[in-house]
Amino acid sequence: MMGELVFRNLLHRPIRTFIGVLAIGFEVMLIVFIVGLTSGLLAETAKRIEGVGADIMLQPSSAGVLIGMSNAPMPIKIRDRLAELQYVQSVAPVLLQFNSSGGVELVYGIDKTFDEVSGGFVFLQGRGLEGPDDLLMDDLAAKSKNSRVGQKFKLFNHDWNVVGIVEHGKGSRIFVPLATLQDLSGSTDKASLFFIKCTRPEHTEDVMAEMRAILPNYTVRAVKEYVSLMTSTNIPGLNVFVDAMISLAVCIGLLVIFLTMYTTVIERTRDIGVLKSLGANSPFIVRALLFESAALCLFGIIAGVGLSYAARASFLKVFPTLSILITTEWVLRAGGIALFGAILGTIYPAWIASRRDAVEALTFD
Amino acid sequence: MAIAATIPSAQFGGLRPAECQGLVKKSVEPILKTENLWKLYRAGKVEVPALRGVNFAVQPGESVAVMGPSGCGKSTLLYVIGGLASASRGTVLVDGNDLAEMSDAERTKLRRSKIGFVFQRFNLLPTMTAKGNIAIAQYIHGDGFDPHRFAVVTKLLGLEGRLNHKPSEMSGGEQQRVAIARAIINEPKILLADEPTGNLDTKNSDVVLEMLRQLNKELGQTIVMITHNPEAVTYFDRVVHMRDGVIVDGIPAD
Repeated sequence: MMGELVFRNLLHRPIRTFIGVLAIGFEVMLIVFIVGLTSGLLAETAKRIEGVGADIMLQPSSAGVLIGMSNAPMPIKIRDRLAELQYVQSVAPVLLQFNSSGGVELVYGIDKTFDEVSGGFVFLQGRGLEGPDDLLMDDLAAKSKNSRVGQKFKLFNHDWNVVGIVEHGKGSRIFVPLATLQDLSGSTDKASLFFIKCTRPEHTEDVMAEMRAILPNYTVRAVKEYVSLMTSTNIPGLNVFVDAMISLAVCIGLLVIFLTMYTTVIERTRDIGVLKSLGANSPFIVRALLFESAALCLFGIIAGVGLSYAARASFLKVFPTLSILITTEWVLRAGGIALFGAILGTIYPAWIASRRDAVEALTFD
Repeated sequence: MAIAATIPSAQFGGLRPAECQGLVKKSVEPILKTENLWKLYRAGKVEVPALRGVNFAVQPGESVAVMGPSGCGKSTLLYVIGGLASASRGTVLVDGNDLAEMSDAERTKLRRSKIGFVFQRFNLLPTMTAKGNIAIAQYIHGDGFDPHRFAVVTKLLGLEGRLNHKPSEMSGGEQQRVAIARAIINEPKILLADEPTGNLDTKNSDVVLEMLRQLNKELGQTIVMITHNPEAVTYFDRVVHMRDGVIVDGIPAD
């Protein structure tokens, strides 16, 4: 009976219900999408780092989890010291350079040792880096930039020749020769990062211990550890941003539900009087409104999940290099947050309704 | 007169003649009784008395019409004896329970089990069908949906063909019949009707009044009805008149 009452009340004002559902949907979508975008980007970056195939990363001492954010390149001669260590199979220096024109992306300056560590690229078109102005792109970057082998590509005010399209998943989306990038960035004989491949993965800890002994002022991380650190909580400011967006979403949902339920209570003042005349007590009135709010929220959550997937599909169509990770965990969390906001937003209107004088309510026009 | 034995109000309960104007059955405890009932409304800093010491009694199975000019306190009396409003002073005994001593929650509980309301403006829930409007009273009552009782009541009120219609799809007479069905579905001790024919045309008024009489005569339903309609009183055992917050007389309708 309560279900019928709630359902029919929702259907009675379809536009208001629709707007309420949409608002909750946007709340859920905002949470799921923002979290999905940040965690997707981080997870995708981590996956690409893992895809290089190295066991260990060496970074400058000030380096954070986000690679490429450090402005303190290391001398490239470190490679030779690392290569001499026991159990080290190969060492690949990489110079990282941010490109912010036409989208934010991290360009890798690499040399032939990168192939030794990564096992080489899978070429979809073209060939590897040979000349100083050669450039490789992964398939997603090529799709996004509409680039093909043989085309010119302007990057860092330099004209490059696109010589190969490779399968995505190995570090970056754009690769250029290390020496050229060093010249262009004024970082001659410097590298931002070293990827180290051990002879066997079981030797990772031993090699890391040796590295820490000979290079005490540098950051040595196992790639597996790095991957596990790529969460929003480990990225300075990102967690605050995500929390702020979630708070904003909750505020939107809470205010919309509050307004919806408040107008509902005002509009149904006489109905509340009728229910009281039938012997409905305050908990019954509160329960009816909470159920109605929860039902509205439930439909909103379903709409929100649908909107999240639609938004992801739209974004990926326009920005194919993006990664948006929609997880069941965050869908449930967003639903829980929306439900909490909805209940919070209903408490005051429900309290008002339960306290309303029955006689006044019955004579309300 | 369905109720065989009545006695003058002055002989009831030892109350003074000026205070006890109702006619009551002999040797039966009244199902409803008020003693020196006052209801004061506050308008700013001024207290306005709506009821000024009402003494009133209704026997089980009796039907009583309350008449009087607008603003004389009829509706207030109905709301107070129905437990929708609290009394300022005096006692209100419903089936032996003093409403004046009860909290709002206790009055609500008593109302749920012992009182049914019918209003002038029908007051059906607009979002629910006729069936839903009647069934929700059973749901609130707490015993769940009783299909047998539901069938008996809806048949009695001639609602079988209209149960899946919403109030907006029904005539005033039909809506009022649904409201009556809702009021009696839980077999209340007392049915309180606040000008139930006030929004109906003559034909529908007669139908509703006839149904109330039928409920009273055939089921023994105790009814207290407020009305402005002089013809309506012929359907009732007794009529009492109110003026300025007090009952001024009590005469048999026939």
